[in-house]
Amino acid sequence: MSLVSGPGRGGASAGGHVPDELKLVVEKHVEYIQSLDTRQDELEYWLTEHLRLNGVYWGLTALHLLGHPDALSRLATIDFILSCQHENGGFGAAPGHDAHMLYTVSAVQILGTVDALEELDRRGKAGTEKVGKYIADLQNQETGSFAGDQWGETDTRFLYGALNALSLLHMLRLVNVSKAVTHIQACANFDGGYGVSPGAESHAGQIFTCVAALAIAGRLDLVDKDRLGGWLSERQVPNGGLNGRPEKVEDVCYSWWVGSSLAMIDRLHWINGDKLAQFILRCQDPDKGGIADRPGDMVDVFHTHFGIAGLSLIGFPGLIAVDPIYCMPREVTKRLLGKLNT
Amino acid sequence: MGKYSDSDEWVDVVPIPQDDGGPNPLAAIAYTEEYSEAMSYLRAAMAKNEKSDRALKLTEEIIRMNPAHYTVWLYRADMLFSLQKDLLEELEWLNTVALKHTKNFQIWHHRQVVMSHIPTLPPRETAFLALMFAKDAKNYHVWSYRQWLVRHFSLWDSELPYIESLLQIDVRNNSAWNHRWFVVFARHTDSKKHSIKNGDADSDVPLEIIEREVEYTKAAISTAPQNQSPWNYLRGVLRKKGIGLVELKGFAEQYADLEKEDEVRSSHALDFLADVYAAEEHKERSGKALELLARRYDPIRKNYWDYRRSLLALDQVSA
Ligand SMILES: [Zn+2]
Repeated sequence: MSLVSGPGRGGASAGGHVPDELKLVVEKHVEYIQSLDTRQDELEYWLTEHLRLNGVYWGLTALHLLGHPDALSRLATIDFILSCQHENGGFGAAPGHDAHMLYTVSAVQILGTVDALEELDRRGKAGTEKVGKYIADLQNQETGSFAGDQWGETDTRFLYGALNALSLLHMLRLVNVSKAVTHIQACANFDGGYGVSPGAESHAGQIFTCVAALAIAGRLDLVDKDRLGGWLSERQVPNGGLNGRPEKVEDVCYSWWVGSSLAMIDRLHWINGDKLAQFILRCQDPDKGGIADRPGDMVDVFHTHFGIAGLSLIGFPGLIAVDPIYCMPREVTKRLLGKLNT
Repeated sequence: MGKYSDSDEWVDVVPIPQDDGGPNPLAAIAYTEEYSEAMSYLRAAMAKNEKSDRALKLTEEIIRMNPAHYTVWLYRADMLFSLQKDLLEELEWLNTVALKHTKNFQIWHHRQVVMSHIPTLPPRETAFLALMFAKDAKNYHVWSYRQWLVRHFSLWDSELPYIESLLQIDVRNNSAWNHRWFVVFARHTDSKKHSIKNGDADSDVPLEIIEREVEYTKAAISTAPQNQSPWNYLRGVLRKKGIGLVELKGFAEQYADLEKEDEVRSSHALDFLADVYAAEEHKERSGKALELLARRYDPIRKNYWDYRRSLLALDQVSA
């Protein structure tokens, strides 16, 4: 899966004509995502190698939400994912890259989405138990936070990723969930939001990770929902798009981070869904497919994924429902979480 | 043929090319070749855990081309410490990388790792951060790093004047407002104990500090009333000491007078007053402020304002 941006631009249209009624160009987006693997002759393909596994997650999830789960070869996907695994259980972004929390989480999400988690035990370099242990070992016993790898960088993103993957694997027992919850509470700010670490500025992306982690831990009762919802809904700007912090420019990916956070605290209706949908649709390239961060910019798989996920969240017709906590098809999380712990 | 395969320095190393499983060979773009060649030597050097000057230089080259490659940073940090390199020199080099790749976050974690091996704050550090903020005063990674630095070297006292200079340039800089909160309130909390949360009330905070913060924030609001950051800050400061918003009713009414609907200068003042009036049991007035927000001053969030109004449990909805 290439993370090369372009070639199309959001809002581009051959005739320069913008139709009154914007449509989601489902088939074009499917073709765009399928085309990404054929772009290995571009430098950016190689420069983004360290994101490859995330890229597969973004492309695959978008295809599922678009209702085209078979647009990528299931077997090739599984093979690629397994080729990124290390003997310690963790996954790197691409074969030969060091293991890291973010890619390990994406690997679990992808295998779960294509219903192939058993493949870990069948032919992974390490089985499910080791994957869980790799993730669990990145928890800081003292603070409850999680590092991304042995380099030690901590970020609420990693904490969320750990709880996400471990809950999908039914292995939350491996970590100290209550300490993790305490750490998230320490990241709460006076304005109702959450930051990357205690004291850091509220940021919609970090809010998503903190609220989703609390949701997985079953502790949404700790969230001041009205205050946080007020702050999150304030992210919508007059053109319908959402920004991630006060006085910052709007961006399609915040459709997801702001929207899903609001959905988890039952306040998604506090933003104007119609205006948001219009904004996201203006960011798509109606001719070649793909979605950009904002109209006029180059499309890429990251914003394509989060744009579609954002549309799914607000119930845009024709899309498969997304789970706001996991950013995966709701049917998939139901299937995975419903499975009895073995 | 390549920079590394042609050099005597690397003659003993067999490069390990990337096996991506794909059928397409790399196109013959010179830069791509340079990058992929360097990467294949990096893989080889890492495979034998080589720690050397040439490997250090190789990581420099790769970072120059692609600083987002997370693996290379860890390897570099490892080498710096085992080879006992001059860490101040490393910082100088990092400066040039950071200025070129302002969105990258690995650079800042690396800086933190390096800095935690330096016993006292290097004299040029704050000037460099100021330069970064001159380029982007809201750079999240730089702010996170700065908070770590302030905690690590206990730089609390010199921060306020700097924050004020940033807010003088841009009073809407939410990052600077957040940092102000951090410097004023978080300095006293032990980040490990979490006994008092960042936004929670804390009766131990001296009243003079609360008063100073309220006055500073009021002055900032007067220069730009339609600015959400100081209004949020003001609410946070009052909550910290358990002071009711009612205390600032007169101040807020300067920017939003319910009798002069056309002259509201700040939706945040209306929002503030809605809470003030509700606290005073003037539910009708509170409801009117919220109705004005829903209908006129912030209609995109109509559902939010309607929800707030529903909490008032007014006997009947008027509008
Ligand atoms: Zn974005």
